[in-house]
Amino acid sequence: MIAILLIPVITAIICFALKNHKLISYMSLIGVIILAVFSVPIITSSVSSPIISLNSILYMDALSGYIMALVILLSLASGGYSIGYIEHELKIGLIDITGVRRYYALFHLFIFTMLLVVVTNNLTVMWIAIEATTIVSALLIGLGFTKRPMAIEAAWKYIILCTVGITFALLGIFITYYASTAVLGTGGALNWTTLKSIASRLNPATMKLAFIFVLLGYGTKAGLAPVHNWLPDAHSEAPSPISALLSGILLNTAFYGIIRFVSIVEPSTGSNFTGNLLILFGLVSMGISSIFILVQENYKRLLAYSSIEHMGIISLGIGIGGVIGIYGALLHILNHAISKSLMFFSSGRIQAHYGSTKIENITGVLSSMPLLGTLTFIGALSLAGTPPFNIFLSEFTILKAGVDKGLWVVVGLFLLFAVIVFYGMLSVFVKMLFGVRNAEYDNQKIVKAHYTGSDIFSYTIMVIMAICIISLGLTVPDFIDGTIRECINVLGVR
Amino acid sequence: MKNWIQAFSVIDFISVGILLAAVAMTALRRIESCVRAYTLNSWLLSLLIGIVAFMIGETHLYIAAAVTLLSKGIAIPIFLRRIVRQMKITHDVEPYISNALSLTISGILVAVVYASLKEGIFVAGFSKNVLQISIAVILIGLFIMITRRKAIIQVIGLLFMENGLFLAGFSLTFGMPAIIELGILFDMLMGVIILGMFIIQIRRAFASADLDKLTVLKG
Repeated sequence: MIAILLIPVITAIICFALKNHKLISYMSLIGVIILAVFSVPIITSSVSSPIISLNSILYMDALSGYIMALVILLSLASGGYSIGYIEHELKIGLIDITGVRRYYALFHLFIFTMLLVVVTNNLTVMWIAIEATTIVSALLIGLGFTKRPMAIEAAWKYIILCTVGITFALLGIFITYYASTAVLGTGGALNWTTLKSIASRLNPATMKLAFIFVLLGYGTKAGLAPVHNWLPDAHSEAPSPISALLSGILLNTAFYGIIRFVSIVEPSTGSNFTGNLLILFGLVSMGISSIFILVQENYKRLLAYSSIEHMGIISLGIGIGGVIGIYGALLHILNHAISKSLMFFSSGRIQAHYGSTKIENITGVLSSMPLLGTLTFIGALSLAGTPPFNIFLSEFTILKAGVDKGLWVVVGLFLLFAVIVFYGMLSVFVKMLFGVRNAEYDNQKIVKAHYTGSDIFSYTIMVIMAICIISLGLTVPDFIDGTIRECINVLGVR
Repeated sequence: MKNWIQAFSVIDFISVGILLAAVAMTALRRIESCVRAYTLNSWLLSLLIGIVAFMIGETHLYIAAAVTLLSKGIAIPIFLRRIVRQMKITHDVEPYISNALSLTISGILVAVVYASLKEGIFVAGFSKNVLQISIAVILIGLFIMITRRKAIIQVIGLLFMENGLFLAGFSLTFGMPAIIELGILFDMLMGVIILGMFIIQIRRAFASADLDKLTVLKG
């Protein structure tokens, strides 16, 4: 397990030390591939039985394994996509060689911090890791700062809002520790496993207070409304591969913290308290994002608001609870991660082609770039929740959990917001994809000129992701199904 | 000596000093004085931890006190002062609201915390006031962040929040394991350094470090 944490750090150091940009990008790719290879046996064994190591600071069970698999899959995709993206940025002069070195070094440090979030057993170490993700990714967002003043603004908002938010989460963790001292006598506990075993004896009033602080803190990081304000800025200003990482896995690692906390708090306070709060946050997130999706002028911001919507859906799934609700939420985490990062990858391509992120400047992507257009269309349909695709399946599962529990108001609002988002997403992307080409912004020649190896490589990655989207919509493979069931088992949900 | 500490309620005095440093911060006009208020706040915090360490004779609390003094009391203030010097612009705080109103609001915040935590968590420690004071310091820090225009004052507000958080954590847990405290401090130090880098970048890109300029991204 320690090897997995060390690989990204070593890769980061090597990437920073090298001076040739080709060499750096291949080194980075090799780094993520080695990471993926090493992680397979650990993830599979963690699913069947929890692993504890390093004086019980590190701990992995099925849930950590599941999120870790997600982190590694997306870093693999994003690492591959980065090569072409950064090559393009270098060519048009948005970044220099120092920037490239910094980009790849930070990229791997970012992966390291996210891996640390999922493998630790200690609530405070998890907090430290989540705060570290903020610091590293803020640097990644503001990377090309001098040339993109907006990116500085986004990074500043991001780091300030998230640090303030997460400060409250630490207060919540301190309160949890205080609650555990009342049960354990001296010492108290911060280890998740220990807290889980005494969870039903913790003082409910204290734990309620702790949960509110933690939900607020990690909720800021997970992009739940009304504490989401940093998210659209950060996602739209970051380089596209980083937007994909932020949206696809960073939000989920923060949400992972909330899920862990729910399972500690629930036994003492009862599931109504945590459930209602999560449902409330979920519905508010869906509502706010659906309105902003309708009025959006920038397609990367649109995708960012769609992330808020999907985090709301996940929160709703966890809040509704029960085996089906949690199953739907965990499946939704996977589906959203794949679809959203595909969309960010393709929007990065569109941005590179048209040189604009304004929706009105872009028409006829399908006729000028058929493959990219098709991929974008698949991603957009999936994100909007159209039936044969993966996100429909998990949304439907969460909806079913709500109907089973008889939460008709929640189900009604869910459907209303989902319909608004469906309209908002598709009307924008249909306009962008179909229609006549916009001659002013369509640089056909430039694209033809460098259809290089790295471009083909990124397209391969995107095609594989699109295939995943379609096949996950048809059926949930047995190994994913088994992992999610094991996660539910670990969380102790009946 | 131990009796003496208890008889004169030294811990209460120090924690009130921490609160007063935060309240004073809301009324200060110059950025340098704000940095000084923060330095005083951090020194008092580390002194408080040191005295509690002396009273219960815990080695790891001595370490925590020393580390707090080194990072929050010395390293961060020096760094902040360097940034202030580099800015080379007006050194006035320029708050959005008047000082009198700021002071009143921070007084109200303290009163609200005392009123609402009366029957909340009671910490069986040396002083009943430490938790209330720490929450009040967190809220005042947040208040400073909301109502000030300069980027660097936002950072100082954040640092006040974190001092309050440290105090709260200390009163609730009597000191976390040393390694965790070090981790939190390290995170904070990195955060401040990176915020400092961004302040310089903001100044370079917008020709001033007022946050009024950062209003392009909306909706």
